Amino acid sequence: MVRFVLALAVAALGVWLWLVLFPSPEKVIAGQFEKLARAASVQAGAGYLPRLAGAQKVGGFFSTNVEINIDLPGRQQHATMSRDDIVQAVLAADSSGGLTVKFPDINVMVGADKETAQADITVEARVPGEQDMMVQEMKFTLRKIDGKWLITRVQTVRTLS
Amino acid sequence: MIDQDQPNTRPGRPRLGGWLRIALIGRNPNVTLARAAILVATCVVVFKFVLLPIRVEGVSMLPAYKDKSLNFVNRLAYLRHEPRRGDVVGLRLGGTNALYRTPSVMYMKRIVGLPGETVAFADGHLLINGTALDEPYVNGPCDWNCAPVTVNPNQYFVVGDNRSMPRDYHVFGQAKKEQIVGKVLF
Repeated sequence: MVRFVLALAVAALGVWLWLVLFPSPEKVIAGQFEKLARAASVQAGAGYLPRLAGAQKVGGFFSTNVEINIDLPGRQQHATMSRDDIVQAVLAADSSGGLTVKFPDINVMVGADKETAQADITVEARVPGEQDMMVQEMKFTLRKIDGKWLITRVQTVRTLS
Repeated sequence: MIDQDQPNTRPGRPRLGGWLRIALIGRNPNVTLARAAILVATCVVVFKFVLLPIRVEGVSMLPAYKDKSLNFVNRLAYLRHEPRRGDVVGLRLGGTNALYRTPSVMYMKRIVGLPGETVAFADGHLLINGTALDEPYVNGPCDWNCAPVTVNPNQYFVVGDNRSMPRDYHVFGQAKKEQIVGKVLF
């Protein structure tokens, strides 16, 4: 019995180690989105340099050309943006009061070619002191470029039709 | 005469340390461990798959559901019957399209329109098939206007109770039945 339990524990440890050392693309992409959320968050009263560093980090998650499709009440935008445009857009956003970005629910589907992926994500943005948080459903398309999953397309999704 | 320094060794009366031990781990530690495991498993199953604990964020369901209030979503509410008008439901967003996944964030809305019905807003009044719906849960002025929409089959028209906020800031519309996580309990 003890041997059986020990063997089971060793097998579980082996599986865990395997998953840690060789994570699935879904897990890699989900981890990347968690890093993106941290980079997009801004501390209240942060100066220009930390904000610039954060914006550049955000830009690093995108490909050189990104298709943006935003369809929200009062704001429609369909454009192709370069990585620099994204950095500038993040910097231009009024986040002087601070901003916390989270992706609480991430659902990643990797394509059969293992080179493309789609992520359905719930974006939660909260400005300190404000009662309502912003919740938006979004769809990201990613492509594996030089071994790194980069975002090539961003679009908002209407949860209710 | 009782010697205070001597432990009480009379049979059937455990010492103070014994009582504490019994209170903490029971007379039979193995049985207690099994009970604790069953309790933990039951809690995990109940609070993950049956009654989801939720915390209300925001003002869109005022006055019935206040910001930061706690509640539960009953995931089994619609096993035996279809959602009904007036039910307050939790709705899943995109990150949890897979039905087995438990969403971290949900929209909380009230069902006002059923499949096949026509829903419209006229000067703040909600019209179902052209007739104003009595909504005692709505409190506050509303000036919304919205052209009639016919609710698609297998979809429900949902809206928040707080109609005094601008329409553009309020998420409402048709939700697929699969999006409904469950009925808000209280």
